[in-house]
Amino acid sequence: MKRYAYYQSCINESMTKEVDRSIELWQHDLGIEMVKMHESACCGGSNLDYVSPKHFALVNGRNIATAEKQGLDLVVSCNTCLMTIRSAKKKLDESAELRNEVNEILRKEGLEYRGTSQVRHLLWVLIDDVGLDVIRKKVKNPLSKLRIAPFYGCHILRPSTVLGKDNPLEPTSLDQLLDALGGKTISYEHKNRCCGFHTLLVAEEESLNVAAEALKEAMDEKADCIVTPCPLCHTVLDGYQGKALKQNGLKGSIPVLHLSEVVGLALGYSDRQLGIKRHIVTV
Amino acid sequence: MSDSTIQHHEESRDVTFRVHRFNPQVDSKPYFDDYTIRLEKGITVLRAINYIKEHVDSSLTFRAFCQAGICGSCAMRINNMSKLACTTQVWDELDKAREPGVIKVEPLRNLPHIKDLVVEMDPLVGKMQKYSNWVDSKMPEEQWGKKEFLVSEEEFLAYDKATDCILCASCVSECTILRAHKEYVSPAVLLKSYRMNVDSRDAMHDQRLAGLVQDHGVWDCTHCYRCQETCVKNIPIMDAIHGIREDAYASRGSKDTSGARHAEAFMDDIEKKGKLVEATLPIRTNGVVWTLKNLLPMAVKMVIKRRTPPPPPLVKASKGIDALRKEFKEMTSHVGKDHEKKSGE
Repeated sequence: MKRYAYYQSCINESMTKEVDRSIELWQHDLGIEMVKMHESACCGGSNLDYVSPKHFALVNGRNIATAEKQGLDLVVSCNTCLMTIRSAKKKLDESAELRNEVNEILRKEGLEYRGTSQVRHLLWVLIDDVGLDVIRKKVKNPLSKLRIAPFYGCHILRPSTVLGKDNPLEPTSLDQLLDALGGKTISYEHKNRCCGFHTLLVAEEESLNVAAEALKEAMDEKADCIVTPCPLCHTVLDGYQGKALKQNGLKGSIPVLHLSEVVGLALGYSDRQLGIKRHIVTV
Repeated sequence: MSDSTIQHHEESRDVTFRVHRFNPQVDSKPYFDDYTIRLEKGITVLRAINYIKEHVDSSLTFRAFCQAGICGSCAMRINNMSKLACTTQVWDELDKAREPGVIKVEPLRNLPHIKDLVVEMDPLVGKMQKYSNWVDSKMPEEQWGKKEFLVSEEEFLAYDKATDCILCASCVSECTILRAHKEYVSPAVLLKSYRMNVDSRDAMHDQRLAGLVQDHGVWDCTHCYRCQETCVKNIPIMDAIHGIREDAYASRGSKDTSGARHAEAFMDDIEKKGKLVEATLPIRTNGVVWTLKNLLPMAVKMVIKRRTPPPPPLVKASKGIDALRKEFKEMTSHVGKDHEKKSGE
């Protein structure tokens, strides 16, 4: 059983609890164990870095140091947490001065940022550590009836200097996983575009226009559902779907599933077990 | 091995350019024309469409000038991404083509379309004027031409990368928020504004910043990083956008804009609980009236589906919060010392 330090994203502890619930259901089936990091702190959600760059480095240096203390890689299931913590890691790795300043403070808690733990998305762990062939063999309920619109979200792709797993303009990782689960993915322009989440409370009209355009293209392409590896994208595309479509004079609806839920469905778990009934748009 | 992979190793081959066409004087709507020409490896997209114009269809209209990636006039969307035609290799694009052997060429987005591959740049220039994208000299006018205005290397490094911008508008074309609202300031203008605001010779910082924090300004950026990924000069545009936000937060505080209040909420919550208190985030960002008006119908749906974030008293602090608070405070004193040091210089 390969173990990982599992970073608990704020949103997965409040609005999208079904993400962690589904991972807990199937993790052992795939030979992995996500050890929850109860002592981790909010990454700053792509905001703390400009409110105070030094607190940003401290908080995320501490998050990574906590995983390092256990000798485990830090794994997240939220794109923005991934991008944010990796950005901090890059800054700490590139600046001995910043690293020393952060470590001087962390040392009093018995922690030290060394840069030994990798910061990875759950999707990457499934592909690189579990392996697509193993996943293919474990599938009990292939998603073969589904025409899926993969929605990567920004912060698993961009900035590529921080992420670097996929080609940010032509990503394939989520498509590969969905293919291993037996699903048929569609090629559409919005698969690597933005959901609008980060301006929902600051420029709501713009955010909803962004979401509506993505939803429209997926519906026009006759997708049965959208699948995303990010709970923030899910919150906009599912939770705000009705409002976004109405604002843009559009009709219809499309279910939006978390990556962790489609893995669960393919491995034979029910929608009730996975928490899919909690979505705003009926699946 | 796909067809395109086999063929891109060839030294010469037929390539189809699927070009967006529209002449408002005769066409009721845009359409695509396919031009198939034999090309040799090493040729750029600009040379290929120049060849089409000279030998196949003289009516094809596009802008180009320097042919060396300096003037920025040949920016267009090639295979769904904005870039310079003169620095884009046809053979590289063949690898990315969705349909083997076919390269799609379209005009930039987010700017008014004039004809074929030509867009109107005036809205961008207008925004550069609106946000005063020039240095307004600190030096008294009577000294102009008589005294040198020296810039140290350190001062120059603050905006060195931003000066690489050639105003090709590729970032403008790919901007998510500009597509959602045409009034949005746009990434190129934010980059230029940042560059002017950190220039040691400039006297208009406060006025420029006051404009940038208004509606359709710096806080509307949705952090999608498409601008940065698109930039033909590899300029870290988001660093400039975050730089303006950091500056706005530090010099104007959080009280005057929802964007700054939103960002501050993260800082407060991390210090108090180690995690975000999502239930009150809309109220702290926009106030009670906005929250009731905009979010109440959705809150009802969320209650029914049991997805509402827990109220603040039920948000359990992270384990080890006392240690985190102490560390946070210690870092705050470091930041305070940094500011003292900076203002003493």
